[in-house]
Amino acid sequence: MKKLLGLALGVLTAIGGFLDIGDLVTNAVVGSRFGLTLGWVVIVGVVGICLFAQMSGRVAAVSGRATFEIIRERLGPRAGIANLAASFLINLMTLTAEVGGVALALQLASSIEPWLWMPVAAFAVWLVVWRVKFSIMENVTGLLGLTLIVFAVSLFLLKPDWMQLATQFLQPATVPADAAPQASSTYWYYAIALFGAAMTPYEVFFFSSGAVEEKWSIKDLGQSRLNVLIGFPLGGILSLAIAGCAAVVLLPRQIDVTALSQVVLPVAEAGGKLALAFVLVGIVAATFGAALETTLSSGYTLAQFFGWSWGKFRKPAQAARFHIAMIVCLLIGLGVLATGVDPVAVTEFSVVFSAIALPLTYLPILLVANDPQYMGRYVNGRVTNAFGMLYLVIILVASLAAIPLMIITGAGA
Amino acid sequence: MMRRTKQQRMPTRRRLIDASLSLLDRQVLDIDDVPVQVVTDIELSEVALDHPIPVGSPAPTVTALLSGPVLATRIFGGRPPTHRLHRIDWAHVAEIGIALSLSVRGSSLDVTWVERWLSGHVVGRIPGGHDDPE
Repeated sequence: MKKLLGLALGVLTAIGGFLDIGDLVTNAVVGSRFGLTLGWVVIVGVVGICLFAQMSGRVAAVSGRATFEIIRERLGPRAGIANLAASFLINLMTLTAEVGGVALALQLASSIEPWLWMPVAAFAVWLVVWRVKFSIMENVTGLLGLTLIVFAVSLFLLKPDWMQLATQFLQPATVPADAAPQASSTYWYYAIALFGAAMTPYEVFFFSSGAVEEKWSIKDLGQSRLNVLIGFPLGGILSLAIAGCAAVVLLPRQIDVTALSQVVLPVAEAGGKLALAFVLVGIVAATFGAALETTLSSGYTLAQFFGWSWGKFRKPAQAARFHIAMIVCLLIGLGVLATGVDPVAVTEFSVVFSAIALPLTYLPILLVANDPQYMGRYVNGRVTNAFGMLYLVIILVASLAAIPLMIITGAGA
Repeated sequence: MMRRTKQQRMPTRRRLIDASLSLLDRQVLDIDDVPVQVVTDIELSEVALDHPIPVGSPAPTVTALLSGPVLATRIFGGRPPTHRLHRIDWAHVAEIGIALSLSVRGSSLDVTWVERWLSGHVVGRIPGGHDDPE
């Protein structure tokens, strides 16, 4: 019984923790512009993150080594530090977007200016990182994030033309033949953005370091695999529901998503104030949870690369550099937000850059997951490796195509 | 000090190890499994430079694990002045696995001075710094 409860809790946390500001914004943007024609990317992304998270979790549980220790070991100092620089900067960008997202969601709830909420949000993130136990932190934000199910409920309440949605979903790439050549590159640019939103590198840093934080051993592997394989796809369905809501309400009226208020507009239309209240709680929980994860990830990447003592399971004074690094990163993120940049714009860039940087983390994990010195008999099986190679190709193509597409489309304008 | 030395012989285990593969860039843990540093370089016993090595002379041995500003010099070349290097004597190394384990406490080593300073002067002074997370 206790085991079953633990499993349920794990799955629910995985669903609630799946979505962050990147998924919320990108799915709404894509839904409002392309309907569900990019829905297939969400599925590709979800299978990818299941594979990737499961692999890095297994490596961490078996060898006790988290992602960036492995990157340092495998790539050596030169390639390793280039990797650290890229991963760290993108993580910092995501951190900025998430803290901004918390502020925007609180603004919607309170109509107090977001720049007043930003320091409050950043301070709250620090307080949790400083004082709250890892498991409590993960479970609370994950469970509150479940209120985002209201997107799926709203989609039903909107009584959409299901046939039309299904046609969009099943006939991808329906760019009209007479459309400008620009249209097709914009389609693919958003495909990469959506892929990056589903497979954000920080999720992997966090997942593997979390396995060390919670002292997973080999016998916890089954549970972690179930959490991922059930929780993430259900989270992916919520992503599709967000895109679906935007496709039903925003696409016909040609409303462009440029702010969080447009993301929640369909929910307000479908379910009124009550639904709006739920979605705001969900967005605050999801972005706050992701702000915690990215803040911790910034500490994890630096500490693991340089071999410092790290982890929330230690007293802060016993992981001093780790905690200082996180405080500095939060302050930098706050500084960037103070310049008045639009957090939604930061989010849109961060998901594309995530896709660009993905091979840097993916390849070392794939290599180590096949190394018997680390993994013993828990090396990748044939099926995992077949998927692993397939995704290596997908990830490389997405990464290489992202920058040219960004230039051609003027960042999806 | 050489940058990359292949196949040092470990006298204790009689196991052949590729130093650049199994020592460099590995995590070092202390006796309580607390991370100490990453092996940024290793120090070898003196080999006379620019002289032919006589046949039958003993092979150089690893004398210490190094850290300090060595990461930059490994990337860009050159070598930092010796007084700026932090050494962990090879005698303290207890085990070589996917991480290196030491037989001493990390807090007793010079290399962790930044951690100790920050812990004492900054992190330890913030309320809750010495408490377990709840």
